[in-house]
Amino acid sequence: MSIAAFTIYLSDYKLQIMKSFLAIIFLAIGLQTSSSAQIKKASLQAAGLTCAMCSRATMEALKTLPFVDKIDTDLNNTTFLLSFKPGANVNIDEIKAKVEDAGFSVGKLVLTASFDKVAVEKDAHIKYAGATFHFINAKNQVLSGDQQITVIDKDFVSAKQFKKFSTQTTMPCYQTGVMASCCKMEGHSAPERIYHVTI
Amino acid sequence: MPAFLHAQELYVSTEPASNMAANSFGFRVTNRFFKMEHEGVTGMRIEPELMWGISKKLMVHVVGLASNQMQPSLRFEGGSVYAKYRFLSNDDVQSHFRMAAYVKGSVINNPFVPVMREGAVKPYDNQELDLEGGASGFSGGIIATQLIHKLAVSATVGYNRFLNNTKDNLPDYLSDNAVNYSLSAGYLLLPRSYRSYDQTNLNIYVEFLGKANTDAVSRNQYLDVAPAIQLIFNSSTRLDFSYRTELFGDMSRNVFNTFTLRFEHNIFNISTKRK
Repeated sequence: MSIAAFTIYLSDYKLQIMKSFLAIIFLAIGLQTSSSAQIKKASLQAAGLTCAMCSRATMEALKTLPFVDKIDTDLNNTTFLLSFKPGANVNIDEIKAKVEDAGFSVGKLVLTASFDKVAVEKDAHIKYAGATFHFINAKNQVLSGDQQITVIDKDFVSAKQFKKFSTQTTMPCYQTGVMASCCKMEGHSAPERIYHVTI
Repeated sequence: MPAFLHAQELYVSTEPASNMAANSFGFRVTNRFFKMEHEGVTGMRIEPELMWGISKKLMVHVVGLASNQMQPSLRFEGGSVYAKYRFLSNDDVQSHFRMAAYVKGSVINNPFVPVMREGAVKPYDNQELDLEGGASGFSGGIIATQLIHKLAVSATVGYNRFLNNTKDNLPDYLSDNAVNYSLSAGYLLLPRSYRSYDQTNLNIYVEFLGKANTDAVSRNQYLDVAPAIQLIFNSSTRLDFSYRTELFGDMSRNVFNTFTLRFEHNIFNISTKRK
């Protein structure tokens, strides 16, 4: 083998290493994206709706949310099935605000979110996709894959249900939806919004 | 199961306590035809109306009025502004209860007695005033709307103060003050089950509309009934038909029967800037 040929062989080898290295990086990025925590879908039952016109007004309001990709409606149950844009940050309070702007309220909100081995327990705070979830009455478990969690904060359930849930927890944070003395502040100086959920 | 869907509160003769969606816009054209007792002929009134949902709690209507009630040809009479504020809303999946307060102001250029035409069959005898073309003035009141299973029931109580019109003074023999009240019920007939927003809805209504003049100079009252049918196309466009007639009363009126035809179209999300 001549020296020149050896050099070519070497550079070719380098290129191959480079290629596989890049492939690994891209694969890692890809994996990162697909396994990153995200709220993918939500099933929202609106309360107080009386007519198709009202339901349409609600749907049109929900459509203006920047993170909403697609909305399917189940008119008979006044339920909106929201699909969120991949990678978008879902703001749960904004969903509620849109329904209220249309003149109605949230009767039930079930989120479908992907988890990657997240351990939960009763009254645990879980940082998830930019939001903090407080699991009420949850059994000790490790969440993996797509899970459905129901938001039970005030104005996300009927007034009657909120009263019922209020009797089940003495924590003042449930009444306000923000961190209170009952919560570990986890280094936060100011009270932060927490969504109370059940699973 | 979803019985709440079947109740309807898009009343024709009154407003429900519920508001239109925030950031939405609507327009209406209401045409009223009524037999005028003094002449025995049919008069008409055209009311173009703009509606705006300012926030989830506040909405306004601006109405223009034109009619041939006071003279042989159609003429612009003035207009009114209506604002409604929803101050209570209790929603449940199968029911809701809402309460709202409203105010209305009206500026009218009309004589209180019409120009008598050739061949008037009766003398003009009318003690009824309204803010829909009859007199300038203002009103305010409370609306409560309740959904009970398949029925949406709404009640209104209001106070009206009539003032001089822009060119004519309010005659002494008419009551300056009146109380209005109403009870309305609505029911959705079709579709039996919802599949899409494109389905045409058919709603029926019955409304009871009362008014009482309270001044000693002309203390009298009436109660009208106004059945209505309504078609809703594309979940955004409305066509209403209503017939209003007196059930009983002792108020002298020049109009006892009114046929109403109304077209309404709604546009949602007029601005998407707001988040």
